[in-house]
Amino acid sequence: MKVYDGSQTERAQQSEPERIKVGIAEYRVTTDEAVLTTSGLGSCIGVGIYDEVSGAAGLVHVMLPTAEDVEGGNRAKFADTGVAALVEALEAEGASRDGMRAKIAGGSDMLDFSENGPSIGSRNADQVKETLAAFDIPVLGEDVGGDHGRSLRLESDTGDFVVKSANTESTTL
Amino acid sequence: MPDVLIADDSEFMRNLLREILEEDHTIVGEVENGVEAVEVYKEETPDLVMMDIVMPIRDGIEATDEIKSSNPDANVIMCTSVGQEEKMKEAVKAGADGYITKPFQKPSVIEAIEDVVPS
Amino acid sequence: MNVDIQSLGTFNQLAHEGAQQATQSLAQMTGIDAVVDVTKITLLDRADVGDDLTGAEFVGVQFGFEGALEGETVLVFDRDSADTIADSLMPGASDDPAMAQSSVEEIGNIMMSGFIDGWADYLDSTIDHSPPEYIERSGADVLPDAPEPDEHQQVFVFKSEIEWVGESVNFYIYMLPEYDPLAEMMMEHGDTDGDAIPIDKLQTFNEMTTSGTQQAAGNVEMMTGIPTTAEVTEISFAPIEDVPKQIGTDTYVGTVVEFTGTPSGYLMVLFDEVSAVNVAEAMMPVEVEGDGVTDQHKAAIEELGNIMTSGFVDGWANVLQTSVDHTPPRLVHDMGRSIVDPLAAQVGQHQEHAFIINSTMRTDDIEFNAEIHALPNEKELREALEDLDVERADETDADVEQIFE
Repeated sequence: MKVYDGSQTERAQQSEPERIKVGIAEYRVTTDEAVLTTSGLGSCIGVGIYDEVSGAAGLVHVMLPTAEDVEGGNRAKFADTGVAALVEALEAEGASRDGMRAKIAGGSDMLDFSENGPSIGSRNADQVKETLAAFDIPVLGEDVGGDHGRSLRLESDTGDFVVKSANTESTTL
Repeated sequence: MPDVLIADDSEFMRNLLREILEEDHTIVGEVENGVEAVEVYKEETPDLVMMDIVMPIRDGIEATDEIKSSNPDANVIMCTSVGQEEKMKEAVKAGADGYITKPFQKPSVIEAIEDVVPS
Repeated sequence: MNVDIQSLGTFNQLAHEGAQQATQSLAQMTGIDAVVDVTKITLLDRADVGDDLTGAEFVGVQFGFEGALEGETVLVFDRDSADTIADSLMPGASDDPAMAQSSVEEIGNIMMSGFIDGWADYLDSTIDHSPPEYIERSGADVLPDAPEPDEHQQVFVFKSEIEWVGESVNFYIYMLPEYDPLAEMMMEHGDTDGDAIPIDKLQTFNEMTTSGTQQAAGNVEMMTGIPTTAEVTEISFAPIEDVPKQIGTDTYVGTVVEFTGTPSGYLMVLFDEVSAVNVAEAMMPVEVEGDGVTDQHKAAIEELGNIMTSGFVDGWANVLQTSVDHTPPRLVHDMGRSIVDPLAAQVGQHQEHAFIINSTMRTDDIEFNAEIHALPNEKELREALEDLDVERADETDADVEQIFE
């Protein structure tokens, strides 16, 4: 028996660029110039990657440095596997690694109660950069560290990465 | 007038205590942690210390213990938001002479001081 | 009864997938692009169920279900959105009230069937539901009566929030299962050794925390002279990545401490900016110069947060006959979610799900809302529950006089 569930319905064309929200431990990619947003970054990091040639862009919101000790689970939660998952998803949309550029924000040291060793925020930042370097993807802009939270949006048509804090004006990377 | 040292990491609370106490006491110092409390106590040997418990660097119970070990006649009143029985027992063991829980009203502060340092 | 963390996680996942299923049905029918924002299991006093809906008008559908699970469930959205939703289903439908109602019924029916089917599939069983009943009510009245539990007045509620992307429309799915079939199912599907949490003790712990909230509210009243009431105290359970979503994206002022002992974790006392200014000025003898949240306001909030924190955790320590230490308060002034985010990350290094204790208090005199959120480490919370002597549950106060005799 065939079940008709209407899942092939075409979505109406929209004139304004679509806004796609990316939650914690999630990633999203777009090929139609959508604006990707994420909010509430404390020690978390938002990694935006775009490829001007294919027009594909994506954003991942990672929470912890490494998936090393975790079996299965959600790849987008960790800096190492989250960046890898995003790169793979962009490649699946036709982007090539050579053309990919990254911008990152977050990794605040705020409210870090660990008494010894670096904060989760700075470990997240280190891991994101290390993983991007391993993929040979250059980081063209970053706003990391400090003691405040951030929200951001990636405008995928231009690669503009707009970072906003609660008490300051937004800056574009 | 009796000398008093105020040890509390909260500026708001130091101001409040100063206002209550300065009428009848000479305030010899206001400090923000247990290490400074011990130092200033040793320099000034005030008649009374109003000591918070939760403070950075060194907490008020440890500071009380050191002050009381060096001078058993010292008068220390804990003045804290902590209302846990185990903490109160620790304070007694360290030698605290009184215990005021925040938030407090002025009369209860005056009364606690009167019990420990009769005028 | 013991329920292991794994099965709580599974049930949360089920509710989440059910909500996603429902959301997909909605998208297919209307072209509305919606996402499931949060799904959580909450344990709270039955009288407090739906308190967060106060002040708004809702429409939606309700129906009962029975089988492997029994109870009532609703899908609701706010009144103003009803027309938009009706029109997106059938252009012009909102002009005709009967048509608008049947659109809502239809959407509700399809969404909720998707929600229930997911549960039945997982349980390898059937769950039947009654035909949907259209409802139009305000605030918590839109929810069915919570089941009557036997001993405790606490019930489990499954709640999902669905956000319509780009529009200010939120859907809520509430499921209120009867306690016994739920408990039985949790037992069957759980692995009761290892990391099991005794549910009856969790209820007692929640009651202790309610009295901690009352203590904290009493402290606020004493410091400000403003009559303050404790509102809701609840324990929720959610994946660690959903923890920051429990708090809004508005800017908050407040304090954060780490507490150590049994239990251990992090505790936040948060005020929205208007409330922070109001409450700080009520504490201060003199007028404050300058606009917004000044350093003077922050100093007052820092001390108030400290005192509220103690009021909140002292009861745990006294009942458990232990001590719970906390760090000096760190003052925060930032977006709510980014305040919770680093705390969730720190807890998340050791666990995949978290219990979150949420309390709110308010006053009628001025605009004032305060929230307390605690994020305990699971291992220490479990130890605390193991140590908890239910008979001592009301011994939350220490007797200073007796100790300083």
